[in-house]
Amino acid sequence: MNKSKLVLLGLAILSISFVSCKDDDDEDNHATHVSGPGTVTLDISNVAGLVNVDETGSTSYTNSSGESFTVNKLKYYISNIRLYNVDSLVYTMPESYFLVDESNQTTTQLAIPDVPAGAYTKIKFLVGVDSARNVSGAQVGALDQANAMFWTWSSGYIFYKLEGKSPASTQPDSSFVYHIGGFKDGNNTNAIREVEIVFAGDSLIVDGSREAEIHVLADILKVFSTPNAISIAAINTQMAPGGNALLIADNYANMFTFDHIHNDPH
Amino acid sequence: MGRVQVNIRQMRKKLILLGVVAAYVFLFAACSDDHESTPAPYFYIPAGFPDPVYQFQNNEVTDAGFALGKKLFYDPLLSRDSTIACGSCHQQFVAFAHSDHRLSHGVDNLLGTRNSPGLFNIAWFPNFMWDGGVNHLEVQPLAPIANPVEMDESMANVIVKLKRSSFYPTMYKAAFGTDTITTQATMRAMAQFMGSMISANSKYDKYVNGKTSITANELNGLQVFRAKCESCHKEPLLTDMSFRNNGLDQSFANDPGRAKITTLPQDSGLFRVPSLRNIALTFPYMHDGRFKTLMDVLNHYDSGIQMSSTLDPLLTSGSIPLTLQEKNDVISFLNILTDYSFIQNNRFKE
Repeated sequence: MNKSKLVLLGLAILSISFVSCKDDDDEDNHATHVSGPGTVTLDISNVAGLVNVDETGSTSYTNSSGESFTVNKLKYYISNIRLYNVDSLVYTMPESYFLVDESNQTTTQLAIPDVPAGAYTKIKFLVGVDSARNVSGAQVGALDQANAMFWTWSSGYIFYKLEGKSPASTQPDSSFVYHIGGFKDGNNTNAIREVEIVFAGDSLIVDGSREAEIHVLADILKVFSTPNAISIAAINTQMAPGGNALLIADNYANMFTFDHIHNDPH
Repeated sequence: MGRVQVNIRQMRKKLILLGVVAAYVFLFAACSDDHESTPAPYFYIPAGFPDPVYQFQNNEVTDAGFALGKKLFYDPLLSRDSTIACGSCHQQFVAFAHSDHRLSHGVDNLLGTRNSPGLFNIAWFPNFMWDGGVNHLEVQPLAPIANPVEMDESMANVIVKLKRSSFYPTMYKAAFGTDTITTQATMRAMAQFMGSMISANSKYDKYVNGKTSITANELNGLQVFRAKCESCHKEPLLTDMSFRNNGLDQSFANDPGRAKITTLPQDSGLFRVPSLRNIALTFPYMHDGRFKTLMDVLNHYDSGIQMSSTLDPLLTSGSIPLTLQEKNDVISFLNILTDYSFIQNNRFKE
């Protein structure tokens, strides 16, 4: 860690000295700016259509099949975050594994540190966990198997958990439980989905002197509808890879929309 | 004698720290003259074995790590009501299978669905369980811990209980340099202990390595085995690690086996080919423990194979014909696969 800090410090000094060289030629633009790496925040709001998701089970929503439902649990993995300038990949966050848990709002703000100075126009990430980490044994942090997002009987992460109640469910307790995962290509069970979010013509500037926040919405109603209509009457339980899990995975790939960026100087 | 061994080990540590390697070698040699056993490495690759699948990457076996793994293996704290330890269904005297149990009982006396297999040479296994559902040695213990008819406990709560303990934090610190108890440290300690369970010192091994002779019956049994069984029970591990339908049933509604993991219809009724090492100890046999004796098993292959669409291609003739003499000789051979030094090894004792 010390080594990497030293390298970072070295890089920072280098880039500052690079900037000071430029300052000689172009004082007007850069005189007061730091131009170093910064932290980008991916701020996710879990919504149901126009309202924030209430995961305590006390608010009712209606899906595209006309079924009302409530939500008790909403958790999912975001991983492999990459930042782009137009189509050029500029920064890949190492070890980027986040478990978004609607019951813990600090988990919906994903901090991406050490992003190089520059302008960014889109972000890509995976919903789920790359196949390598599904086969690499005991993990730490967001991937800690004690987070109850891992199938112990068929090793692999549960990428997306949505649980709740609905009168449409045929379960005795009216519950529905969607645990979606699966990382293998071979037998058509791969539920890892890549998401690309373009900042709608805006550029996110990272220069170490301003906030850099990307605000996106993640809509659970789309998880029931886009492109596959999921009816709770037809599917109340999905707790294994394959089959209906893929329909829901195709939907969570479409649940995100860009909302806005915050990019003001500190 | 155990205490003497510990002293040697402690001494070894100090001496290595001092860098007095020559003195250590001398002392070690002197001590081993007086005592019958010397501390062997925890993990090694026996003669003729391939490279292991689990390479102990970032998890080299140490005295403290092994000791922690062993403590955890025998600790019922891992179960919901502190009644079931790993060692409850994996007993050393039967090569870490469950002695004479068709199925095993977990918390609240709930019965499992499959026969508890022996544990040895598991560092060579690419995956685990009768259906291969577990893909890494370090995540294997999570399955019985979470299984509602085995230990029925969450890993998160196991961590809570371990943190509360008066001695575990010290053991974790000794093993991993920090007393922060994590899933990863817990699983890695258990991988050190279980991955070190190596069984490669049976009479068969000594014969293969030219160190002993075997009887005429055992030799004939070995030859019949190599002609009729080895295509699945491949030497030296005595399994090819594959999943096969060996003709136990015509339908698999009760237990689809491998298909439960892959969701592929062609995997229905397929189960892991088990290693035959220590097989005389690990009765009863098959994934559901349906056969009590080795003779029952051989009779099945000779005359009991059930036809089905996923039956293994090697069995579609409907029989592996075996005379009574051949069966008796094969059983003689299977008996020399028992590794007494493994089941008596103090290192693994509770």
